[in-house]
Amino acid sequence: MSRFLNSEESYGIIAQVLHWGVAALIFVQLPLGLYAANLPVSLARLRWLSYHKSLGLTILVLVLLRLVWRWIDAPPPLPGTLARRERCAARAMHRALYLVPVLATLAGWLYASAAGLSVNWFGVLLIPDLIAKNTELAPLFKVLHHVLVGLLALLLIGHIGAAARHALVLRDNVMQRILPAGWLEKK
Amino acid sequence: MMRWILLLLVCATAPASAAEDCFTSDTAGSGVTFRVMQAGAPYTGNFRRFSGVVCFSQGRLTRIDASLDPASVDTGLPELDAALKESDFFDVRKFPRVTFVSTAVQSQGAAHTTRGTLEIKGNRREVEIVLHTRPAGGKTAISGSFTLDRLQYNIGTGDWSNTKWLGAEVKLDISAILTRGK
Ligand code: HEM
Ligand code: HEM
Repeated sequence: MSRFLNSEESYGIIAQVLHWGVAALIFVQLPLGLYAANLPVSLARLRWLSYHKSLGLTILVLVLLRLVWRWIDAPPPLPGTLARRERCAARAMHRALYLVPVLATLAGWLYASAAGLSVNWFGVLLIPDLIAKNTELAPLFKVLHHVLVGLLALLLIGHIGAAARHALVLRDNVMQRILPAGWLEKK
Repeated sequence: MMRWILLLLVCATAPASAAEDCFTSDTAGSGVTFRVMQAGAPYTGNFRRFSGVVCFSQGRLTRIDASLDPASVDTGLPELDAALKESDFFDVRKFPRVTFVSTAVQSQGAAHTTRGTLEIKGNRREVEIVLHTRPAGGKTAISGSFTLDRLQYNIGTGDWSNTKWLGAEVKLDISAILTRGK
């Protein structure tokens, strides 16, 4: 069996790379958004928000790609050592970890469109607006973006906490199966 | 004495100037829009207050004297509007008016090639704008657009002079409905 694809015991390399790629970009995107949004109106703000918007759209595409890949290559089943309730919670959490980033990026894109601040992806590709400039709706989408990003941050705390529990408390294989083989040998 | 005779002659041979018909712009249906590139994407904003006198004689545009209030800039983003009024941009306390005064007009039908002096933030330059007139519900509508280099007028100084993030070219679209003036 190819190590690139998911198996019964582990995520394959493709799913792993996509997971950690998106994770890394989100960990850059959160402080980038906070930093840029709190700058006064300036060229620096324009520039950092432009990077934030470009990176955000990259995250959107990668998350959608992950969903497509998950549909092609089913993830490994959760270990039977977990209670039904826990498996249900894990599944719901993973769904939310796909859905919320998509909604958060769409809200950001809607806000940028409504504010008239269209995106040129890293200065390479002009991205169409989702809606026409609308200064009445813009503040609403801004709040929506903030709320969804806040929700994402909360989900991530839960997600990382759960991962830590698997690695340190339960000591099952849930943590190592998303890591490259051999990174966390099971004791 | 010679001057007087000349003046009389001019008046006699050019009765048109005596029949000059002047209009002012109506607030309703009038607008000034600007377009500029921000971070590689087109950005649009408006100026809400402007006024002007436009005179015609026998269908030919003879002169324009227009002024715009840069403090009426409206982008829909209040923080940006505030920044545009500061010294890096329009410095509206020191320069409360943007003005355009025509020096020569060539009319060809409904197209009026208008040369004049544009003054923004104390910088004067000769510009040429092609204006078009058309009837609009019993009144006359006038419109035109032209592109200027904001750096020539010191609009966006300091960090803002970086044209990669804020384009140098600013396109202005002007349209007004003319009402018979005083
Ligand atoms: C330090 C950060 C992170 C750690 C330690 C971590 C850990 C893990 C682990 C151990 C799994 C495997 C769960 C299983 O075996 O069923 C997993 C899956 C997942 N993680 Fe993370 N993760 C992190 C960051 C993120 C981020 C930032 C996202 C962003 C959305 C994310 C989204 C997901 C999703 C959607 C899955 C489910 C994959 C699937 O089954 O389709 N993770 N993560
Ligand atoms: C997962 C992806 C994203 C995350 C985690 C994220 C996160 C953030 C954060 C933390 C802020 C600062 C909120 C504040 O304190 O004011 C912010 C602001 C902003 N984001 Fe995002 N963002 C994402 C995607 C996007 C996208 C795709 C766009 C647009 C295409 C976007 C546009 C904006 C804009 C314009 C602001 C500034 C709003 C303001 O003035 O507060 N974001 N984002």
